[in-house]
Amino acid sequence: MFSDLSVQKEGSSLLCRPASEDQGPVFERTSLAYSQCSERYRIGERSFSRQYAHIYAARLMQMRPLLSERAQQKWGSDVVIKKLCDLEPAEQCCIVGTMFKRMDLQPSILKEISEEHNLLPQPARAKYIHESDELILEDELQRIKLEGKIDKDKCVTGSVIAVYGAERNDGKFTVEDFCTADLPLQKARPALDSDRFVLLASGLGLGSTHADSMLGLQLLVDMVTGQLGDLGEQSGAATISRVLLAGNLLSQNTQDKDASTKAKYLTKKTQAGSVDAIRLLDELLLQLVASVPVDVMPGQYDPTNYTLPQQPLHRCMFPLSSVYPTLQLACNPYHASIDGVRFLGTSGQNVCDIQRYSSRDSHLEILEETLRLRHLAPTAPDTLGCYPFYQKDPFILEECPHVYFSGNAPTFDSKLIKGPDGQEVLLVTVPEFSSTQMACLVNLRTLHCEPISFSAFSADEDEESEMNVSH
Amino acid sequence: MDHKRHNGSRLMGGPSQAKRGKVMGEWEDSPSQFEEELSMFEEADMDAEEMEGQAGHDVIPVGDLFSADLNPRWRRPPAPSLDPSSDTLVFQQIDLDYYLGETVAGMPGQSQGKVPIIRMFGVTDKGNSVCCHVHGFAPYFYVPAPNGFTSAHLVEFKKELNSAVLKDMRSNKDNISVTVLAVDITRKESMYGYHGKRIIDFLRITMAMPRLIAPAKRLLEQGFKFAHFPASNYQSYEANIDFEIRFMVDSDVVGCCWIELPKGKYRAREEKSASLCQYEVDVGWNDLISHPAEGEWQRIAPLRVLSFDIECAGRKGIFPEPDKDPVIQIASMVQRQGETEPFIRTVFTLQSCASIVGSQILCFTQETRLLQSWAEFLRTVDPDIITGYNIQNFDFPYLLNRAAALKVNYFPYLGRVRGIKSVLKDLNFQSKQMGRRENKTINMEGRVQFDLLQVLLRDYKLRSYTLNAVSFHFLQEQKEDVQHSIITDLQNGNEQTRRRLAVYCLKDAYLPLRLLQKLMCVINYMEMARVTGVPLTYLLSRGQQIKVVSQLLRQATKQDLVMPVVKTEGGEDYTGATVIEPEKGYYSLPITTLDFSSLYPSIMMAHNLCYTTLLQKGSVEKLGLAPEDFIKTPTGDLFVKSSLRKGLLPEILENLLSARKRAKAELKKETDPFKKQVLDGRQLALKISANSVYGFTGAQVGKLPCLEISQSVTGFGRQMIEQTKQLVESKYTLSNGYQADARVIYGDTDSVMVKLGVATVKEAMDIGREAAEWVSSHFTPPIKLEFEKVYYPYLLINKKRYAGLYFSSSASTHDKMDCKGIETVRRDNCPLVANLINTCLQKILIDRDPQGAVEHAKEVISDLLCNRIDISQLVITKELTRTAQEYAGKQAHVELAERMRKRDAGSAPNLGDRVPYVIIKAAKGAAAYMKSEDPIYVLENNIPIDTQYYLEQQLSKPLLRIFEPILGESKAESILLKGDHTRCKTVLTSKVGGLMAFAQKRSTCIGCKAVLKTDAAVCDFCKKKESELYQKEIFHLNALEERFSRLWTQCQRCQGSLHEDVLCTSRDCPIFYMRKKVQKDLDDQSKLVSRFGW
Repeated sequence: MFSDLSVQKEGSSLLCRPASEDQGPVFERTSLAYSQCSERYRIGERSFSRQYAHIYAARLMQMRPLLSERAQQKWGSDVVIKKLCDLEPAEQCCIVGTMFKRMDLQPSILKEISEEHNLLPQPARAKYIHESDELILEDELQRIKLEGKIDKDKCVTGSVIAVYGAERNDGKFTVEDFCTADLPLQKARPALDSDRFVLLASGLGLGSTHADSMLGLQLLVDMVTGQLGDLGEQSGAATISRVLLAGNLLSQNTQDKDASTKAKYLTKKTQAGSVDAIRLLDELLLQLVASVPVDVMPGQYDPTNYTLPQQPLHRCMFPLSSVYPTLQLACNPYHASIDGVRFLGTSGQNVCDIQRYSSRDSHLEILEETLRLRHLAPTAPDTLGCYPFYQKDPFILEECPHVYFSGNAPTFDSKLIKGPDGQEVLLVTVPEFSSTQMACLVNLRTLHCEPISFSAFSADEDEESEMNVSH
Repeated sequence: MDHKRHNGSRLMGGPSQAKRGKVMGEWEDSPSQFEEELSMFEEADMDAEEMEGQAGHDVIPVGDLFSADLNPRWRRPPAPSLDPSSDTLVFQQIDLDYYLGETVAGMPGQSQGKVPIIRMFGVTDKGNSVCCHVHGFAPYFYVPAPNGFTSAHLVEFKKELNSAVLKDMRSNKDNISVTVLAVDITRKESMYGYHGKRIIDFLRITMAMPRLIAPAKRLLEQGFKFAHFPASNYQSYEANIDFEIRFMVDSDVVGCCWIELPKGKYRAREEKSASLCQYEVDVGWNDLISHPAEGEWQRIAPLRVLSFDIECAGRKGIFPEPDKDPVIQIASMVQRQGETEPFIRTVFTLQSCASIVGSQILCFTQETRLLQSWAEFLRTVDPDIITGYNIQNFDFPYLLNRAAALKVNYFPYLGRVRGIKSVLKDLNFQSKQMGRRENKTINMEGRVQFDLLQVLLRDYKLRSYTLNAVSFHFLQEQKEDVQHSIITDLQNGNEQTRRRLAVYCLKDAYLPLRLLQKLMCVINYMEMARVTGVPLTYLLSRGQQIKVVSQLLRQATKQDLVMPVVKTEGGEDYTGATVIEPEKGYYSLPITTLDFSSLYPSIMMAHNLCYTTLLQKGSVEKLGLAPEDFIKTPTGDLFVKSSLRKGLLPEILENLLSARKRAKAELKKETDPFKKQVLDGRQLALKISANSVYGFTGAQVGKLPCLEISQSVTGFGRQMIEQTKQLVESKYTLSNGYQADARVIYGDTDSVMVKLGVATVKEAMDIGREAAEWVSSHFTPPIKLEFEKVYYPYLLINKKRYAGLYFSSSASTHDKMDCKGIETVRRDNCPLVANLINTCLQKILIDRDPQGAVEHAKEVISDLLCNRIDISQLVITKELTRTAQEYAGKQAHVELAERMRKRDAGSAPNLGDRVPYVIIKAAKGAAAYMKSEDPIYVLENNIPIDTQYYLEQQLSKPLLRIFEPILGESKAESILLKGDHTRCKTVLTSKVGGLMAFAQKRSTCIGCKAVLKTDAAVCDFCKKKESELYQKEIFHLNALEERFSRLWTQCQRCQGSLHEDVLCTSRDCPIFYMRKKVQKDLDDQSKLVSRFGW
């Protein structure tokens, strides 16, 4: 995408004689209007004395009017919308409720600690779905089993949907059709006059045992900071106006979960496994933030809290880089407006969790599904850790983002989708950098997204890969 | 409901049936979503009924036992008309009793006055209920005829005895004129002792009523004089036999058998029916045909099983009292035996209640109507078996007392006989197997009360007997446990909160049914009734003896033997187990175990040990027996050989064991799962019965104890174990070409453990099989030594304490880890002990990693000292059975209950509750019983646990026991209980008590614990390490949050509702304290982390 720039600039190719030191052109980095909109994901005073019922209740209460409206759009304005307790057998009607999927294979802490089974670890599985799973729809008071035209393997616990059908004599509800809340309304995107880019990367995986991703990472830093390529490419790099790191800056190896279970007399002198990796991260960030604003989101393996929303990484861990105002430590989920373009996304836990508990495999598909459900993380709190919110569910989408992404995907993927009310959303699954050596660039003007690979020693040489920033 | 008392559950004692052990659960069903299940039950034809049920408010007129027909589905299928002259009536008899009544014209027996009439209740194949009156059977007993007695003296004897009995009666309200119906001379022989087959004259004295037997017997024993015969003390025979058993023995009826009434031989009652059954018939006792339970007669009629549960609205802090606190809900489920789902599900509620899919809800505004209607429901449904959880001691007594308090006059007619009121009685019950306990009983003619709690108390040894714990144990299902204080709140809420209560109540009614099914209780008990020949109800209300008596009588009658009545005197029961002194140690070689199969029964058979073959002192000379005619047992007692007379007991045992063989063979062939269950139940019943025969002869307080037999049996057993040891050690030696000298390292009652010195399980099995056969050839058949299993590795701790990996079917994979006598199931210590021992054993035996086991033990000890053990692991639970004043000594749980009452009367445990407590640190010298504390209170107030107590009083002994054989006696203690891991401790500072009220808390540096002036996280010195310190703390927070979310979402799933708060307070649930603790830890850790600033 920068290659067209470099061809035009004669004589500034890398193959020409270097210009004298002080004459090098200076490319001013495009700066953007930026505002964080993630207030809703910040938790001040934390209290864990509440239970999870409240978040489900709040979710259903907020979503019910939205779904009722969609139901009327879909099945006509005269459709009967009922609560489960008023359900009459055989009457065709619509029910709005929270889905619950009963799953036999679901890991259960009860089973793990039950005395007879304390030594039998439950087998780790990639997926927990099974043919014996059952779908149940629940409203504030009652629940009912669902059958019929609804694919239980695709559904996940916690989604609020509207089903249309009738209760059979055996007490099950036969679904004929169902609908989701679908995309919320979108604010208009300002028309931009020039290309400017946001670089999305995730899963840097510092502190992993194999260091091959480090070179790629350095290439990425050099590219962004304009130390790579000829003048054209440098000027291109100057249009990267923001870098967004979507979680898992550290590798899974830095987590020593054992530390919390191991006896204290054995761990007294040890320090957290992440200390070295964090130091490395600080140095890496220092290089970046000196020249470009960087948003850092925490992910599953990063040293912050476990439950969503994850709070920003603590400044005290970044003594070098945190002095720069360009370092933005953000929440996960992330929500910000960059030059009027609304970015919303997560470090990928929500998508991975749905992948485990449904038959869906494509991260992009799951991402779209959450958008259609109008909910960032339906499986929270059931299988995805979540703060016990009270009277609100911050994961419900209240306005439609322009760019909707999730990090730590196995591969890069993107797609522009259109909503029923003319919304236009760019979906991006940001690949895990440590395994793919890829990041991606989003063009704020066109909402185009392209991957960018930093694989230094790619297996397939013929691809336009190695340190090739021009696609 | 948890607030049911079950008296005496701590009195569990009997080992005999504990062998069945616990059913190792497979995780076949995850916590069920009960409401969905409920909805599934509904069948297609339920549509119309909901309306009727709802309409049922207060329209039922008071008047009859059946007023309004609330639901046509409740009734039994309509009974086809019955013509006694052309139809044969066949039914399965399930309950049997007798009453005194007027004779019915045309029936045999005495014609005037009141006569005893046997009443059988049963069900036909079509599911119709039958009440059958059996006439003409009268009670009798025997006395030996005095010398010179002839038939000419009969009249005189009868007259004299009759007048003596009449005179003896204090009152004669029935106006009996004839007490002795008949006296006959019969040729019989006493069962006790061998007298050279001397058949003598016995007088068979038939009395008019069962209750007259006792005075007649007493009068005869005390000295009875008639005609010219001198006064003499008559020894009575068979005078202590229950009338029902007498009848069953004489007419070949066994428990739960099929009865056929041939056409023309019986009469059907058209009017004036005495019972609520669909058929009511009269028959002469000689005219009924009883079918032995074989072939087609093994089937089970479609019995109706009702399970119910009640909820009452108690006041805060007070155990519900029937005269004050209302019954607010009664949930009932009815299932046909053999079907998998109940076909009736109803809840009777006080006040309105929102509907529950699949269940009928009947709402009442008046409690009297609720009770009245439920009684009508019960009579309409007409269940054969009534079950529930602790219904015997809680639900039924409460209902009866409540109905009496509210004057619901038509309530207490719950039996099948019109006009007989169900009355509550206290019953003290004592048996060797169960210990002493106080129970309540309610008479309910024709229905079998099958309280699941009673069944479990009898047959299973469990840590806890709450319905919750039991269903988790057997079904792997947690049940939501609602505290009783909340029950009242739910009742006082709206129809939705009452609905929630109803769902909960329904589940409590449903679980007993599921458990009955899973444990096959009904089938197993029925088979036991058939095998032993006693009525089904006896199995739950009586001890073991009656079963043997019934069998003994059946066998004796065939041989004209009569059973003497012996005076029982107390004394130590003779129990002699044979033990070869164990050679303690950890064996990493295969240990072969050889077992005598059914040792005691086979000894009795092999040596013909019986009452009838026992030679009393001097008998040998008197009868002139040759030495080859009798044997001398190791205890010096003499018994004749079977060539002279075959013993009764050996015969009974042979029948039982061959029947068991047959059942097992049939079981193999059978494919139908239901019939398979029946056969499996039967073979189990047969085995248990065979083993109880020995116990019967040894029971000092018994019907017919005979120490000579029981002592001889154990004597033989001891001898055989010794002999086996010698044989094995003499043959399997290096000099005979085997790999090593065999060594018997331990021998228990019926098994020996042999170290053969071979290296593989396969070799150990092969030699074991060969050795078993070879040794068996030295013993009299049917005594048989069998190779059963190989333990590899094997940890022998002490007598009756050992553990090993159990190989029996395959030489390559073990079947299980077998632990005997080790603290893995004991209930009087905290779960930590069982879990730690279990894990260590698994590491030692399965992983073969003794070092790993030591490390694990050390880690757990360190965790304990550092307060990192989940508190549920430290909870000790005891039942509060009496108030503090009634206990002799001060007890920890009683004192705690008192203290809790002072703190908050509402949540304090009541009489009958189980009190969970932990031991806390207290001032030096505080008495142990003062150191108990409520675990929740401990969690909330950060009270330090007395970790030393747990280490020294709970863990150390069992731990040392298993590690001593491995580490050596002196080393085990120094390695496990001393050392680095015991030096790192965490001491909590309590929020209550002591000087805490005066202390001021100041922040300390998270890094170096230096006192800080501000609330910052670290001191200036540690500032440069802030990042590291932060990371350590944030990871801890991270781990806690993960735990929090997993624990609480689990509860949300378990309770089957996402939108409602978890109310469950089940302290038996393994995560109950954990989720509480994680909440607290998380709040603390959050606060700590927030000092860094978010």
